[in-house]
Amino acid sequence: MSASSEAMVETSPKDELINLALKGGALVAGVADAAAFTAAPESHRPVDLLPGAKSVFVVGGAAPRAGDWRSPNYQHMEVTSINDRITALSLKLAHHVERKFGYYSVGFPPGVDRGQQPFVSVALAAELAGCGTASLAGPVLNAEYGFMYYAAFATTLPMEPDGPPQESACPAPECVEMWNAEGTTPCLSTCPIDKGGCLGGRLEDGKVAERSYDRARCTSRVYNYWVPGFQKALDSILSESDKESRRMMIHSTFFTRTLWSITYANVSQGQCYECMRVCPVGKEHRTLK
Amino acid sequence: MPFGFVSPEMYRRYKDEILRMSQAIQVNYPEHLPADKRKPGFSDRQMAEKLGIDEATVREIRCVAERQYYDIDEWFKAIEFKEKACRDYRRQGLSSVTKKYLKK
Repeated sequence: MSASSEAMVETSPKDELINLALKGGALVAGVADAAAFTAAPESHRPVDLLPGAKSVFVVGGAAPRAGDWRSPNYQHMEVTSINDRITALSLKLAHHVERKFGYYSVGFPPGVDRGQQPFVSVALAAELAGCGTASLAGPVLNAEYGFMYYAAFATTLPMEPDGPPQESACPAPECVEMWNAEGTTPCLSTCPIDKGGCLGGRLEDGKVAERSYDRARCTSRVYNYWVPGFQKALDSILSESDKESRRMMIHSTFFTRTLWSITYANVSQGQCYECMRVCPVGKEHRTLK
Repeated sequence: MPFGFVSPEMYRRYKDEILRMSQAIQVNYPEHLPADKRKPGFSDRQMAEKLGIDEATVREIRCVAERQYYDIDEWFKAIEFKEKACRDYRRQGLSSVTKKYLKK
């Protein structure tokens, strides 16, 4: 086939979007059926954001660099490992669908609604689009790359859905081996729910059989210095009757850091990566010279 | 619900039940678990129907209760936890959590 005739071959809108996504920096991309979000609660499904939505396009990427995982200072990841970049790419693709193909598109906001819940679960979208599977620790893991950020948009453009992956990326073979020998896994060992952590669970026949997750405690770690931390600090400050003590609290390192953090990003930012730091899935991409 | 917040009396009356039903601590929540193991939490609307109060009140109580679940001390423990976990990983790699099965 000549170059000119190759150029005349039409690609499907889905293929075009995947190519644009990969060129734009995504590591993975896929399509979920908008009607497949049955596990999501009512009013948190794609059609609640865009009536008539047929498809959900998902992009994944912006994972922390290998060096980020090796740094002894975890605090830098708060501003270098955020979902903004992948969300911007998703919104760009949503614009492309409207301009080029003439179908409605609405990006899933990465923050939360007034009930502190996601507008639509991007994690569920990533699973239904074949980009990854839920892990014992919680985040959706891609079998090749492990942890990354995801973003998605709903559209009335019909596209062939990819569907969830056949195999789960979690637990990794190393984790199954560790479970059989020690009764724990790297993520459970790092943040055990029965010892002041967030995660509990059990493997059976090499698969996750049970899982417990203290999301209130996880909030104190992931949003350590962000809006929840600000609310906790402000509550303490307003309850303090002594003027001098109140002044010390307002100018404290915790409150100052929280205020800085709020200015860094207007959407979701993670401030705890410890369960993912020790996750073996995708470790080949985190091991450099 | 004047000014968008519930009275402290209303909050105290329902917060424990709402936290339990909404699964502030999730147990077998994920949808990929077998159906007989899965125990998803209730939505605000479902809780409102069970408790006989309106959905907006349930949402308000849940949001406040989730934030008040842990004292601010937990936020400072979080800092200690992350510093230690990050430092241990820098020193020992993956073997910081399992010395036998994963290489550094």
